[in-house]
Amino acid sequence: MIIRTDHIAGGVFVALGLGVLALSGDLPIGTLSFPGAGMMPKLVTGLMILFGLLLIVRAGESAPLADLRWGDLPHAARIVAITAVAIALYQPLGFVLTMVLLLFALTFGAERRHALAAAAFSIGVVALTYLLFTVVLKTPLEPGVLGF
Amino acid sequence: MGTVESLLLGFSVALQPDVLWYAFLGCLVGTIVGVLPGIGPLSGISILLPATFGLDTTKSVVMLAGIYYGSQYGGSTTSILMRIPGEAASVMTCIDGYAMAQKGRAGAALCIAAVGSWVAGTFGVLMLTLIAPPLATFALRFGPPEYTALLVLGLVFLAYMSSTSLPRTLLMASVGLLLGTIGIDNMTGHFRYSFDIPELGDGIGIVPVAVGLFGLGEILSTPSANMLRTVIAPKLRQLLPSRLEWRESVMPIARGSLLGFLVGLTPGSAHIISSFLSYAVERRLSKHPEQFGKGAVAGVAGPESANNAASTGAFVPMLALGLPTGPITAVLIAALMIHGVPPGPTLVNEHPDVFWGFVASMYVGNLMLLALNLPLVGIFVNVLRIPYGYLYPLVIMFCIVGVYEVNHSIIDVWIMLIMGVLGYGLRKFGLDPAPLVLGLVIAPTFEMSLRQSLIMSNGNWTIFVQRPIAAVLLAVCAGLLALAALSLVRARKDWRSKLAEAEGGEGG
Repeated sequence: MIIRTDHIAGGVFVALGLGVLALSGDLPIGTLSFPGAGMMPKLVTGLMILFGLLLIVRAGESAPLADLRWGDLPHAARIVAITAVAIALYQPLGFVLTMVLLLFALTFGAERRHALAAAAFSIGVVALTYLLFTVVLKTPLEPGVLGF
Repeated sequence: MGTVESLLLGFSVALQPDVLWYAFLGCLVGTIVGVLPGIGPLSGISILLPATFGLDTTKSVVMLAGIYYGSQYGGSTTSILMRIPGEAASVMTCIDGYAMAQKGRAGAALCIAAVGSWVAGTFGVLMLTLIAPPLATFALRFGPPEYTALLVLGLVFLAYMSSTSLPRTLLMASVGLLLGTIGIDNMTGHFRYSFDIPELGDGIGIVPVAVGLFGLGEILSTPSANMLRTVIAPKLRQLLPSRLEWRESVMPIARGSLLGFLVGLTPGSAHIISSFLSYAVERRLSKHPEQFGKGAVAGVAGPESANNAASTGAFVPMLALGLPTGPITAVLIAALMIHGVPPGPTLVNEHPDVFWGFVASMYVGNLMLLALNLPLVGIFVNVLRIPYGYLYPLVIMFCIVGVYEVNHSIIDVWIMLIMGVLGYGLRKFGLDPAPLVLGLVIAPTFEMSLRQSLIMSNGNWTIFVQRPIAAVLLAVCAGLLALAALSLVRARKDWRSKLAEAEGGEGG
C-alpha cells in the first residue's frame, strides 16, 4: 500500500482527537436541557475525528507521501530556532537588544549576508521601529535590561 | 435618521483631517502589503492591530479596513508586471495582465485594474450603505437558535465554496472550534485545557493564531532562494489605455462589481473566489475566448473589479450581523471588540458615528487608492527591490511585536510560533488554514447560542426547526450538503476543483 499525504494528515488529527478526549474526562457533558462545559469540546472533537477518518478513507485522491518535497525544511527549522530564542529573550532583554540580535541572526546567520551589512540593517531597522512605535504611535515597547 | 442624513454624518466624521490621515495610512500600507508577495492583508492587519490601540474606534477601523481594500489594489501590480500574485486574489490577473505587459501594454493593464478596482470598490460601498442598515434591523429578530443556524450555515457554506474538499475544510473548522473552547467556560466557570497556565484561562486569541498561521507560516514555506525578482517600472505616459481597451473593459468591470459584491456576502475567501468566478464568466461571455491567456483586457478588468467589490461586500455581514465571513473580517471584529464596540445589529443605532464614519471613509479611501496606485506605481514597484533575505526578518520582528503588544503576553507569542509551525505543516499537506481561524472566531458565539437554545427549549432539539428563520437557514445548509454529496458521488470536476487546480498551479 502506498502511504499518501492524507493518510498522515487524517491520522494526525484522529490521534489528536483521541488525545483531547482522553484529556476531557473531567469535563461534564451535562444534559440536553443544561449542557455542561464538556459538551462543545467533545462534540467538535468527535467531528474532528470523523473528518480525519474521512480524509484517511479518501486518501487515494492525495499525493503519495514520498512526493512531498522537504527541501525548505532546514531553512524553516533555522528560522523557527532563531525566533524561539528571540521569544525567550524578549522579556528579559527587551525590544531593542532582542530585535537587533534576531535580525542579525536571521540576516547573517540564516541568510549568509555580509556581517557589516547585516549589522547595519539590524541596528538601523530596530532604531527606526523603536522611534515609530514610541514617538509616532505612542505605543511603548518592552523595556528590558536597558531600561528603554 | 434617513440614509442620506446618516451618510452626511459619516462624511462629517470621515472628512476630519485626522480620520483622513489614518484612512490614507491604511490605504498606503495596504497597497504595499498587496504589492509584496508573502505578506497578505491578514498578516498586515494583525501586525498593525496593536498600533491602533492608542486611537479611537473610528480611526482604528478606518485604518485597518484601508489595509484590507488597499491590498486588493496593490495585489494587481506584481501580477501584471512580474506574474507574481502579490495577494492570492490577484492570481487570475497574472494570466492576462502579464500577457498584456509582454505586449507592451503593462501601463494600460495597470490603469484598467486600478479604475476597475475603484468603480467596484465604490459600487460595493454604495451597496453596503443601502443593505447593511435594513439587514441589521432584520437581524434584531435573531435569537440564540437563529444565530446557531446562521453559524452552521456559515461553516457549511465555507466548506461548499472552498477549493479544497468538504471534509478538509470542515476538519480545519473543527480544529478551530476546538481551539476556541480553550479557557474558562463562560456558563459554568470550568477551566478547559488550560494546563494551569493562567494566560490560557482567557482562551486563545485570534491575533496570535492568525499571525502565526498566515504571517510566520507563509515565511516558513517560502525559501528565500526562490525569491529572485526582476523589477520593471512602467512610465507614467504609458498608463493610458486605448479607446478600444476602455470599451472592452466597461462591461467586465460592471459584471465583476456585481458578482464580486454578491460573492463577498458569503463566507469563505470571497475576494479570491470572486476573481476566479469573474474570470470564468468573462471567458464564457467573450466573443473571442481564444484571447484569454494571451492578453485579454476583460481577463484583467473583471477579476480585479470582482475582488475589490467582494472585499467591500464582506463588510455587510460583519457590520450588520457581527458575523465574520473570513479571517480578515474576524480580525477586524476583534479590533472593534478591543475598543468596546461590538459589531452587529446594534452597531448602527448605538454607534452611528463609527458605522457611518467607516462607510463614508471607504468612499474617500477608494478615491485615495486610485490617486495612489496610478501615478505612484513606479514607487510601489520599487518596494520589490528589497531582497527577501532582508524583508522576512523584518516581518518576523513585526509579528513578534504585534502579537506581544495585544496583551503583553509572551504566551501569545509562543502560540504564534506554534501556529507558524502548524501553518507550515498544513500547507505541506494541502490543508487550508483559513477555516481554522474562522472556527476559532465563531466558537464562543456558536457554543453560547447552541447551549442557550437548548436551555430555552428544555433540551428539545426541534427548536431549530420550529422557528421559521432558523428552519430556513438549516434547510439551505441541507441543500448545500446535498449538492456537495452529489458532486462527490458523480466525481465530476466542477468549478471548485478547477479553482483548486488553478490555485495550485499558480502557487498563490
